[in-house]
Amino acid sequence: MTRYLAAAGAAVALMLAAAAMIFFFAPTDALQGPVQRIFYVHVSAAIAAFASFATVLVGSVIYLWRGSLRADRLARASALVGLVFTTVTLVMGMLWAKPIWGTYWTWDARLTSTLVLWIIYAGYLLVRRLAAPGRQAARFAAVVGIFGFVDVPVVYFSVDWWRTQHPGPVIAADALPPEMLSTFLFTMACTLVLAGVLIAIRYRLETLMDQQPVGSVVPSPASPSVPSHLRGEANS
Amino acid sequence: MTRSFTVALAIARKDLVSEWRTRELVPALAQFVVLALVIANFAFEIDSRSAPAIAPGVLWLALVFAGLVAFGRAFASEREQSTLEAVLLSAASPAAIFAGKALAAALLLVLCEAVLLPALALFFGVPLSFGLVVAILLATVGMAALGCLFAAMVAQMRARELLLPLLTLPLWIPFIVAGGRAVQVAMGASGAMDQALGLLLDFDILFVVLTSLAARFVLDD
Repeated sequence: MTRYLAAAGAAVALMLAAAAMIFFFAPTDALQGPVQRIFYVHVSAAIAAFASFATVLVGSVIYLWRGSLRADRLARASALVGLVFTTVTLVMGMLWAKPIWGTYWTWDARLTSTLVLWIIYAGYLLVRRLAAPGRQAARFAAVVGIFGFVDVPVVYFSVDWWRTQHPGPVIAADALPPEMLSTFLFTMACTLVLAGVLIAIRYRLETLMDQQPVGSVVPSPASPSVPSHLRGEANS
Repeated sequence: MTRSFTVALAIARKDLVSEWRTRELVPALAQFVVLALVIANFAFEIDSRSAPAIAPGVLWLALVFAGLVAFGRAFASEREQSTLEAVLLSAASPAAIFAGKALAAALLLVLCEAVLLPALALFFGVPLSFGLVVAILLATVGMAALGCLFAAMVAQMRARELLLPLLTLPLWIPFIVAGGRAVQVAMGASGAMDQALGLLLDFDILFVVLTSLAARFVLDD
């Protein structure tokens, strides 16, 4: 377990370093003022979320193709982490939008598709919980994971067709001064490391839960169930 | 290929015959959509000026919830009588079974639309046009494919009534965005109808292909 503790500690230290860079190194935006500093975490969290959901897609496809339990566990772990980062993206975005756009929410293509993304993967985790544990949950969730990943660009595209006001990509357009760009790239790297560490820890947890008999995780009415924490102590 | 087609038609016919004999779903859904219009009328205080702006939203809300019930029932009856296993045990491919169920459920929803659209025109005084009907029918195809896929999934799970809307509604949003636009245009808003219809057709093709590929994993035990 110490390996995971060390990785988690390193990820936290990196995020603190990124915070220091955001607040003390990056210059204040001339138009938006200090609010612009939200951008670094907001966009990084969005990229980490998309990377996590791409991992869910890969894991789901491999599971349906090969029936590999490891791919399924990876998908499970990534879906949860992706959902957390999507929440961060949405909340950060709303906090930025209130002073800049004058409203917390607008039905723009990116906002709408990110919200739909959040709802779909919340549904993914519900399927995990409500399907019969094991193969069925894995199969159904994989289908939801794949459909969710296809649906989100489609939602984006269909809303974008008619209306959008989200600021366009500023990184590709070379519009950021070098200090801002380096702060952004560093924050993004740290956030991706954090996401990777979280997925690894969650993967380990899922492996441990898979090793326990189903009855200890989901109590069945037929047999008196032993609470899982007691069983865990008895095993170790 | 022709064999799968025959199987799909046979399954669809079985479902339609069973609905014709019991006459459960369509009358109930027709009553539901009319009720939805009555509630919308009082909730929005609809008059002749506000109707063209509000009617598209009411139409989609009624249609989406009627669709959820229709597609949920498509597999609920099989589950209640434990006949789904029997159908799956036959030599028919899961994709063909799924296509048959989706076809029958879509036709039942079309019957319900045949009540909804005239009722909407009657109560709200909005025009019915060819484009509007085409948009609704195109949206029904894709919604039926997605709705039946997840209905088949939740039929094998706990808390199915809870989960079906949660899984299906987010995936229907592209159809509601494009279809909603088409209906707004048909009721007097400015915009290009053919663009919205083309988009609906694209979504139909995408999701019909995807769901028929995925049917194997949902209907296979």
